[in-house]
Amino acid sequence: MRTTVRLFTRTALTVAAIGAFAVPPAYAGNSETLEIYPSEATPGTTVTVNTLACGKHGRGVGDANSLGAGEFHLNPSTHKEVVVGQFTVPEHVKPGTYGISVACDNGKTARGDLIVKHRRPSGHVQTGVGGSVGPDTAQVTAGAAVLAAAAVGGVLLLRRRASGAQGH
Amino acid sequence: MSNRSKGWAIAVAACVGLWLVQNGSEHVTPPVPSAAQAFAAGPSVHTDAAADPLPPSPPVRLRIPETDVDTPMMRLGLAADGSLDVPPAGNRNMAGWFEDGTPPGAKGTAIVAGHVDNAEGPAVFYTLGALKKGHRIEVDRQDGTTAVFTVDAVEVYGNEDFPDRKVYDEADRAEIRVITCGGGFSKKNGYQGNVVAFGHLIGVR
Repeated sequence: MRTTVRLFTRTALTVAAIGAFAVPPAYAGNSETLEIYPSEATPGTTVTVNTLACGKHGRGVGDANSLGAGEFHLNPSTHKEVVVGQFTVPEHVKPGTYGISVACDNGKTARGDLIVKHRRPSGHVQTGVGGSVGPDTAQVTAGAAVLAAAAVGGVLLLRRRASGAQGH
Repeated sequence: MSNRSKGWAIAVAACVGLWLVQNGSEHVTPPVPSAAQAFAAGPSVHTDAAADPLPPSPPVRLRIPETDVDTPMMRLGLAADGSLDVPPAGNRNMAGWFEDGTPPGAKGTAIVAGHVDNAEGPAVFYTLGALKKGHRIEVDRQDGTTAVFTVDAVEVYGNEDFPDRKVYDEADRAEIRVITCGGGFSKKNGYQGNVVAFGHLIGVR
């Protein structure tokens, strides 16, 4: 009887343990904080996450499937209590908030949100070289034509005046 | 006509000719928006209600009927320095839109840019600075619809203090920005700023 109970208990524990791993970390009740840097990222950016949840020398597996970045590993960092991992924001992710979760080898989980923003341009645009800047050639041509006509007129007038004076 | 009056006519003609040559030799620059077209000049006289944003669809042509602009649209990315890429300078009638951003007509801020000129002369957005509040900007889209925007303001900014957030941030309705060079030209430094036309969606055809 006692053996049966013990066996039963062990089975229950095993089932519970399997269950704990089977549950997606995102839905785990008491997730610890997952720090995400930068917390707002554009496509192509490498994002670094870290958490205290996995404990000293712990390890974990991160889940960035929400934005199509797959899974990534978390390993102990130079700060002994912290595990660190990285993933890259895929190029074609739509802007929005994406949940990132980590399942530690010690059974604990951590969760945080990453905000994906699309790149915006910055600064002014280079849309001209000045090829339209210059003298108004039509106006200069017209002016030159008027000047030439005036000159011709002036010469004719002076000649006529001169010939008129000779006639008298 | 007496010789005296002929002489006067010739003198006047000579003066007019001189003035034309001298005035025409001064450099002509693209139109610059007046202060009255800026946001600061008070609320727009054309308070056309904003239309509901359309589903995203890439633009294919852009027209500004008031200034006879009618141009195909290409996709633009970002240059290495983070600024908006521009269409190839060799094509004088080509505008582009920021492909990673909002397509014109959809909710957000669609960003359009084109050249004011190239080495040969005026280009697609040479007349952008002559746009006025209430003028229309029409964008034909791949889904067969035409998004119609009204101009809310036309402003000019120096290159060094270009207002990124005002121009590029996402709006919570369907808006458009049309950007080109302007704001003074120096042979040494080129154009000293950008002209930006701001608009919002008022209808669809």
